[in-house]
Amino acid sequence: MADKPKVVDKPDVLQRPDILKPQAPAPLVTFPVEVVVPEGRQQTPAVGQRASRADGRLHGLGQTKYIDDMYFPNMLFAKIKRAGIASALIKSIDTKEAEAMPGVIAVITGRDIPCNSFGPSLKDQPVLADTRVFHAGDGVAAVAAVSEQIATEALEKIKVVYEPLTPVLDPLESLKLETPGIHAPSANIYGHKIIKKGDVEKAFAESDHIFEGSFRTQMVEHVPLEPYACIAQWDANGRVTIYSTLGRITLGRADVGRTLGIPMSRVRIVATVVGGNFGGKNEIRAEPALALLSKKTGRPVKCVYTRVEEFTSSTTRHPLIMDYKTGVTKQGKILGRKIRLVLDGGAYCSWSETTLGKACILSAGPYNIENLHAEAFVVYTNKTMTGAMRGFGAPQVCFAYESHMDEIAHTLGIDPLEIRLLNAFDEGSLSPTSQKLHSVVVKESLLRAAKLFGWNGLGDAGKGNGA
Amino acid sequence: MKRRGRGMACMWYPIGFTVAANPSAAVVKINEDGTATLLTGTVETGQGSLTILAQIVAQELGIATDDVHVVSADTDSTPMDTGAIASRTTYVTGNAAKMAAEKAKLTLFEVAAPLLGVKPTQLEAQDHKIFVKGFPQRNMHIGDVANHARVVSGQPPIGSASFNPETLALDPETGQGKPFGTYVYATQIAEVDVDDETGEVEVVRIVASHDCGTAINPMLVEGQVEGGVAMGIGFALEEEMLFDANGRHINPNLTNYIMPTSLDTPDIEVDIVDSYDPTGPFGAKGVGEPTLVPTAAAIANAIYDAVGVRIMSLPATAEKVFKALQAKREQQPKQIGAGVPQNGGANGKPAVQ
Repeated sequence: MADKPKVVDKPDVLQRPDILKPQAPAPLVTFPVEVVVPEGRQQTPAVGQRASRADGRLHGLGQTKYIDDMYFPNMLFAKIKRAGIASALIKSIDTKEAEAMPGVIAVITGRDIPCNSFGPSLKDQPVLADTRVFHAGDGVAAVAAVSEQIATEALEKIKVVYEPLTPVLDPLESLKLETPGIHAPSANIYGHKIIKKGDVEKAFAESDHIFEGSFRTQMVEHVPLEPYACIAQWDANGRVTIYSTLGRITLGRADVGRTLGIPMSRVRIVATVVGGNFGGKNEIRAEPALALLSKKTGRPVKCVYTRVEEFTSSTTRHPLIMDYKTGVTKQGKILGRKIRLVLDGGAYCSWSETTLGKACILSAGPYNIENLHAEAFVVYTNKTMTGAMRGFGAPQVCFAYESHMDEIAHTLGIDPLEIRLLNAFDEGSLSPTSQKLHSVVVKESLLRAAKLFGWNGLGDAGKGNGA
Repeated sequence: MKRRGRGMACMWYPIGFTVAANPSAAVVKINEDGTATLLTGTVETGQGSLTILAQIVAQELGIATDDVHVVSADTDSTPMDTGAIASRTTYVTGNAAKMAAEKAKLTLFEVAAPLLGVKPTQLEAQDHKIFVKGFPQRNMHIGDVANHARVVSGQPPIGSASFNPETLALDPETGQGKPFGTYVYATQIAEVDVDDETGEVEVVRIVASHDCGTAINPMLVEGQVEGGVAMGIGFALEEEMLFDANGRHINPNLTNYIMPTSLDTPDIEVDIVDSYDPTGPFGAKGVGEPTLVPTAAAIANAIYDAVGVRIMSLPATAEKVFKALQAKREQQPKQIGAGVPQNGGANGKPAVQ
């Protein structure tokens, strides 16, 4: 006998009228349509995407670990004694009283540094000044203590005897050969660059108008949000690990190895996420001093610059003195240009040679100038050292060549846009160094900016008087 | 009374070091699931360069930016890099990363070729797949190929490469030569309001048209331009380190060293100029430094346009502009009823030193 088919439990079904009722079919599309668009980071092709940054979330949540957020067991805090005098001989440094302070673990001076000089091109910068102070921000001693406060107090107990020297502060004064050399015995000019093309004097003779102008720019600081910070840890194997706000770890390792007199294989440099660079973190600062303090104490040592130190004891932007002379036709075509640049190089070379080169090459502007004579000098002064900073001399010379260009345009009654289009580089133009240029879009950028801005010729003052 | 003026400035700027070698090396490892790791010795200093490098590697491997993890800035574990300097990361490190990724990709192609029945040269990587050129339906997922490479072929895909821009030394006498691999170009136009009673300058608007070759990430290009313009405004109008007669810096703090805040930052309209550089990774050049180069010049020209005084030295502080306006007024003859006074223009305008 076959099994009876199972009787459907009718009453239950009847109690659920929704089952009996025909269901309305689900709509094919619901509005508004929700399409999940993957983030730029998740899309292919990757190039051209507005991909968000992997570190953005951590920054946004305040979870990024900068060096000042890092702590190691038994870590000490270092502070550096600054000279506070622009030019002097160091007669003596007495650290005894500081060393005797409770909480002070170690003090070092320039004499403790095995090779007390470094620099990206000229090795003219001491880690800690030992015999001579070249600018007021020079460090003369470093203290490691159990707290930042004790280290700061200990700086006051260090007695330094100076023999003051007359500082050289004006770059034009420094340029004169009779001015005593800051880094004796040589003269203060430590870099020179020249670019010559065609015959400038002939071009001036053929010009309808000659324009001259002398421009100056000031010294500015990078002012990164995160000041210089570093932790050094010397281990029992004689290997040192350095966490530092460095934009160039390869060069940093070479400088640390050299100043400490140890092989590079015993130096490890880790740059954590750096909170702003702009060129101010491209060479070592206190790394060798901290490494030695760590070696001496057997404990990790941290140092974070104050904002004052960031101004006085890190690199800055070169002030420039820029003399321009330009010969043009009535139509505004540049026939010849002569330029002299004097860079205030501050107390040490740092990245001055790069700045000198770029400033000199770029100084004529993005223009076809067949007759050019550009000469640039960089000189020492007893001021905060100047070095790499976003633009390497280009913002300074651009201020000069573009102000000069507008002078010419206004005098000749030519629209500033027109005179630039008349002289600007094209694809295949030869640069001041006769390099054939490719992917040149200076005219496109001029026209696009003018269109976007709504440029319509001269403004109020150009036509009359700003009215 | 506030006077409005407009000024433009254009510029050119090189990528990389002046003649001197500035190489970058990179290592790319492809994981068994088709994601990848890039090792680079460059440093993220806030500009987003590691994201750009991840995008370049992802593009070469046909995967997404999120699939590339970047390990950076440790001398023990990452290869040599000249560093975050000279607007060189996208161009130089980017080229090295692209070449390293290509080498790792070729291993994947060697592994995939027999599986797809073609030669390695007939393969392409795109959209997480390795496929036969012209026959995209004949494909394998990149993760399957990468896993096969490790588990079956025993060829873990890894590539390393280095790049150094091609330069030619400059003649010491004439300075002639090829100092840089490539250059970028830009124009900025500033609109300013100058108060002719106080000399105060307010930047109202900046239009910035920048060339960076291919924009690997337009959002990060915009970020660089906006930051550069803000920095350029500080250079143009406010920032200056001042020294006393003994050479001591007298304003080493943010109370007396004035910088632009967000309230001083005007509307910045960023425009990316179409451009492609065959020597850069996917046509890219760079954008970091050039963004502030023309700002101060454009502002100085706009000040002249507004009130007819030529700023010859930066920064154009209110005091300096005020003094220049005063000098200009003193120079003008007081003519009453003697026709239109000859104001401003190129003749007889005072210069500020």
